[in-house]
Amino acid sequence: MDLSLNEKRLLKVLEPLKKADPATLAARMETSGESVIQFAMLLEGRGLCRVEKQVDTTYSLTDEGARYAREGLPERQLLQSFGDRIPMSELTRHPLSRIGIGQMRKKGWVAIRDGMVEKTGNDAPGEEELALRDLSRGGAGLGELLKRGLVTDHQETSYLIALTTEGETLVKRGLDLEAEVGTLSREQIITGTWKDLRLRRYSLGTLPKRIYPGKVHPYQRLIGEMRNVLLYMGFTEIYGDIVQSAFWNFDALFQPQDHPAREMQDTFYLKETIQVPPGFERVRDMHLHGGTTSSTGWGGQWSREKAEQCVLRTHTTSLSIQHLAAHPEPPVKAFCINRVYRREAIDPTHLPEFEQLEGIVMDEGVSFRHLLGYLKEFYFRMGFADVRFRPAYFPYTEPSVEPEVFVPGLGWVEMGGAGIFREEVTAPWGIHHPVLAWGLGVSRMAMLRLGLKDLRLLYKSDIEWVKEMPSWQQGLENRGGR
Amino acid sequence: MAVITLHYRYLERLVGSDRETILARLPMIGSDIERIEEDHVDVEFFPDRPDLFSVEGVARAMRGFLGLETGLPKYKVTPSGISFSIDPGLAAIRPYLGSAVIRGISLDEESILSLMGLQEALHWAVGRGRSKVAIGIHDLDAVTPPFRYLAADRSRAFVPLDFSEEMTMEEILDHHPKGRAYAHVVRDFPRYPLIVDARDRVLSFPPIINGELRTAVNIICTALAETGATIQCVEIGGAHVPTLAPTERLVSANEASTLLGVELDPLALSLLLEKMRFGAEPAGGDQVRVMVPCYRADIMHDWDIFEDAAIAYGYEHFDAAISPTFAIGCPHPVMEIYGAAREILCGLGFQEVMPFTLTNERVLSSRMQRPLPDSALKVMHPISEEHTHVRTDLIPLLLEMCQLNRHRELPQRLFALGDVVEGLATRQRVACVSTHLGADFSEAYAVADALCREFSLAFTVREPDDPAFLAGRRGALLVGGRQVGVFGEIHPAVLNAWELEHPVAAVELDLTAVPGYPCPPGTP
Repeated sequence: MDLSLNEKRLLKVLEPLKKADPATLAARMETSGESVIQFAMLLEGRGLCRVEKQVDTTYSLTDEGARYAREGLPERQLLQSFGDRIPMSELTRHPLSRIGIGQMRKKGWVAIRDGMVEKTGNDAPGEEELALRDLSRGGAGLGELLKRGLVTDHQETSYLIALTTEGETLVKRGLDLEAEVGTLSREQIITGTWKDLRLRRYSLGTLPKRIYPGKVHPYQRLIGEMRNVLLYMGFTEIYGDIVQSAFWNFDALFQPQDHPAREMQDTFYLKETIQVPPGFERVRDMHLHGGTTSSTGWGGQWSREKAEQCVLRTHTTSLSIQHLAAHPEPPVKAFCINRVYRREAIDPTHLPEFEQLEGIVMDEGVSFRHLLGYLKEFYFRMGFADVRFRPAYFPYTEPSVEPEVFVPGLGWVEMGGAGIFREEVTAPWGIHHPVLAWGLGVSRMAMLRLGLKDLRLLYKSDIEWVKEMPSWQQGLENRGGR
Repeated sequence: MAVITLHYRYLERLVGSDRETILARLPMIGSDIERIEEDHVDVEFFPDRPDLFSVEGVARAMRGFLGLETGLPKYKVTPSGISFSIDPGLAAIRPYLGSAVIRGISLDEESILSLMGLQEALHWAVGRGRSKVAIGIHDLDAVTPPFRYLAADRSRAFVPLDFSEEMTMEEILDHHPKGRAYAHVVRDFPRYPLIVDARDRVLSFPPIINGELRTAVNIICTALAETGATIQCVEIGGAHVPTLAPTERLVSANEASTLLGVELDPLALSLLLEKMRFGAEPAGGDQVRVMVPCYRADIMHDWDIFEDAAIAYGYEHFDAAISPTFAIGCPHPVMEIYGAAREILCGLGFQEVMPFTLTNERVLSSRMQRPLPDSALKVMHPISEEHTHVRTDLIPLLLEMCQLNRHRELPQRLFALGDVVEGLATRQRVACVSTHLGADFSEAYAVADALCREFSLAFTVREPDDPAFLAGRRGALLVGGRQVGVFGEIHPAVLNAWELEHPVAAVELDLTAVPGYPCPPGTP
């Protein structure tokens, strides 16, 4: 058995006494009572001694209680302040009447009739008064005094430490009491005295106190991982304002001005406005008649006022199109992972704000086939080896596609949308090559990867969850590629 | 979304194939199967394809997709001799009307269900809740042509559907369930649109009809024609409608090949399009003459046709591969600054949290004892009282997080970084809070100092008058004379407001002050 020196010393001093209190043992070991209890607990764990815990309660008078012990309880003082009877109105003038009258009645010392207080003659000292004179009597009287706040109790825990037979046997076999060293001192290390020291051996069975590192949020870690995948794939990161004009958020993406997604029902509008940028006429013409492309446009009317309304961006595509407008020459490979805002009622899977990932590739000769290739590669690196594609509809892409990934236990899970930007979207900005684009609800991926049932936990986090979630988990095996 | 119920028996009869084959291929034409039941399947189709909102329309498309019957479906239209007149008084109200006569229709239970489902779905997708198109189907034997479309007086009375009493049009808008639901669409007009027959009997009180109506008429007529009905045209203001005639488009097979990344000669492209029920034939060179069926409302651009070719080709048959495009990955400087802030604060032992950006005045202002900044942005139609403003600061959201975690062990050291909005501009901030028995001004100052040193920010300090902090235990960080941050011990009254019981040291820094911050802020 690997006993520390302190444990051995305690056994040694305990052996002749068999049973003792910590103070006695502490004096003999030249240490504190607390330390003795601590060593004894360790020995108890090994079955070498027993720690008997005893809780003693002592009682003492409060200041108020002490005064009454001298002068009598308020009801006794009040009772003695008048003869056989007294009008209530008069008695209430006595300074102790507020406590006293009720108590006198309760104890049956007086009766009250027609506004007169009359003694019943039944006024022998009760349990309370006896207890007040001698607290050690205890009983119901003491309980009442505690309730009335005239007495307080103190609980004292005391310990008795007793040697067990096993302990005794061990001591009789002899204990090596050579001093052991815990923490090495600088002196011991540099002078070389450590060579002669007996170093304490620590128990591996005792788990350490849990400590936690400062941590990145698990969701942020997942976002960072996606960001890295796209950076490794050669994409440039874009970033931009939360507040966008409806022009960049909708019109530039060829969403007709009467499209349901543009209604107040689905989008957060602000009362502010932002002017349409130079070149807005080309977007307007695209809506009206398809501009210079083979498109018919939406026809009808196009309102500049509607385009200048401000919204909280409903997708990061508003940033993608601005990036393309600023960089119309190929190649462009860009991505964005950031918050978007939709006017959704809050429930476990819907929130009014959430992260969206978006990637775009614009280059000479890129095609739908390449779009499917980028989707496959991206999802593979995110840990989804099986990807399949289905036709889909999005207002600003043509052709459009919905990728699905295979998740063991769940089957095929829809994972975002993709397509080639419509010519109506790209032509106004002098972009002459196809733009492959895909978007993904990051929180959906987070639910899968972090095993969440309620998205709100991401934003209104239980910090215990953040603390306990490991920084590294399986599922990143594909990050390095095939 | 439009979810269409397809009864197998009817669907199998119309397609001429078994349900297993149909169900296996249905998603690949562009749909989501919602529920598979004993006798039917519920399928969601995309809003750009209202021609698929009926069993008849789906069957027509699937016959092509499965190769059972390809090419342009041809619909014959004969004259009906029936006419409609349109009151010129409707010009400023709702001047558009479409109509057709459908004869020889045999309606059984399944086709009636399909027709009602189609009408409902068209009201939603094409009519936008009847604000753009309203559709009425009437029994021709029960009414007498010719018909008139009138701008009627609001006090005109008739007996509406499902009612026994006569009501004026105004009363209908107030009391009839359908009238109330769509009242907002016509309420403001001086006179209301009304359709009556030769004997002045009211057929309908259409909330609105305009541009999209041709699509709706074509879709309904062609769906019924699929069941064997004869379509007859009606004379409206001198024109005979509907014609159900296709539209012609000349497209380039080379352009299709380049867009899709698949070699398609004009013949191959034509064959694919025929499967999608277009009429298509090589037209010399790389051109293909495409006849677009009258029910296809979604074909606006040549690429819309190429998408159909891709669907016919089968998404599963594309050789998916990334393009050889060379570009070097490049992080955005703002994200790099965020990354550095994260590294510094994690190193100082803080845990990251990611609060919402939408918050409210109570969080930003009243609980903080701070006035709401003039630059705070309010959303016009918030979804709840909790989400009325875009955040202007991060410390309030961290205190809210502490409140949520009151029952958790101390110490708690939390940080958040992210966007705040000042006016219309998005700015970046980092903030942290530390709460435990000994959290105090010195801790806040030490963290603020470390954060600034790590960001190479030379700063000076002065005491601000920020009431969120205790006087004499607060500091403002200044860089080049501009206040870029605050730190200190949170005021006990603020702690009370947040129901926090232990002192909190807090720091917030505006990251636009960091050297190398890209200018102007918010440029994508």
